[in-house]
Amino acid sequence: MTKIVNLSIAALLLAGGVYLYADDDKREEHEHHRSTVVAKPLTPQEKATTALYTKECGACHMAYQPQFLPKRSWDKTMKTLDNHFGTDASLDQSDHKSIQNYLASHASKNDQVVDVRGAVALRISETPYFVREHREVTKKMVTQPEVKSFANCNACHTQALKGSYREREIRIPNYGRWED
Amino acid sequence: MKYLSIALLFSTSLMAASPEVVQYMNELSKTAKVQNSSFNGFDASRGKEIFTSTHTGKQGKPMACTSCHTTNLANSGKNSLTGKVIDPLSPRANPQRLTSTKEVAKWLKRNFMDVYAREGTAQEKGDVLTYIMKN
Repeated sequence: MTKIVNLSIAALLLAGGVYLYADDDKREEHEHHRSTVVAKPLTPQEKATTALYTKECGACHMAYQPQFLPKRSWDKTMKTLDNHFGTDASLDQSDHKSIQNYLASHASKNDQVVDVRGAVALRISETPYFVREHREVTKKMVTQPEVKSFANCNACHTQALKGSYREREIRIPNYGRWED
Repeated sequence: MKYLSIALLFSTSLMAASPEVVQYMNELSKTAKVQNSSFNGFDASRGKEIFTSTHTGKQGKPMACTSCHTTNLANSGKNSLTGKVIDPLSPRANPQRLTSTKEVAKWLKRNFMDVYAREGTAQEKGDVLTYIMKN
């Protein structure tokens, strides 16, 4: 059952253009194929919004793929930007609106995602899916200076900026490949 | 008129900020004068003090602009929370700096909030920008 839920979440995320983990090459091929099928060329407007999102949110941290959280999570984040995990990340009205719309239209369709405390998830790293996928990762791997925290996806997921989180792309600094 | 515009261009390049940012600083200057009648222009040494001194920030912890930007503005900094590299603030080291009023106003607001837990005054913002321009 867990596996089925896993896969359905993965499928939902994939539909939005994110490659998730893969335990074997066979599934990776499948994911690749699927992504090719659903990929649509972006309009100039969509390209501009994506660039805005990457510039503004990527100024301080990786611009996480919106597919990792549902709309209600992003709405909550956007409502509290003046105190964004302890920092002021406020935007002007026009950029705020564009980014909120971008997040909403690319959000995960799994709207019931809650964090480990049962609240509307704000941190991707506190979603059950994320916790499960990283359960074997040791604290030392994460807190070392080269990684710092789970917020730095691209410290280990070498293709994270492109939205690809395949297992074979993982290189943990000072540890190397991830072997399941 | 011709000489005036040449002089203006020259002073702009000396000031290491784009015309729109210079214009923004002129507005800050006007506001500063309104708020403080003894205001007599921006001052890089006051700006340095604002930039390098430690305060109780938004999180209730000691924080300075230098916590992320370091004391050498020509060097890259690092976001103290996420570790992400921040390009140099110095316009000489990084020509992208002080070219967009929108960017400048956005970051001044955010970073004053993070370090001082309040928005900076027009004079403080102008002082900091003057300090950045000279480094």
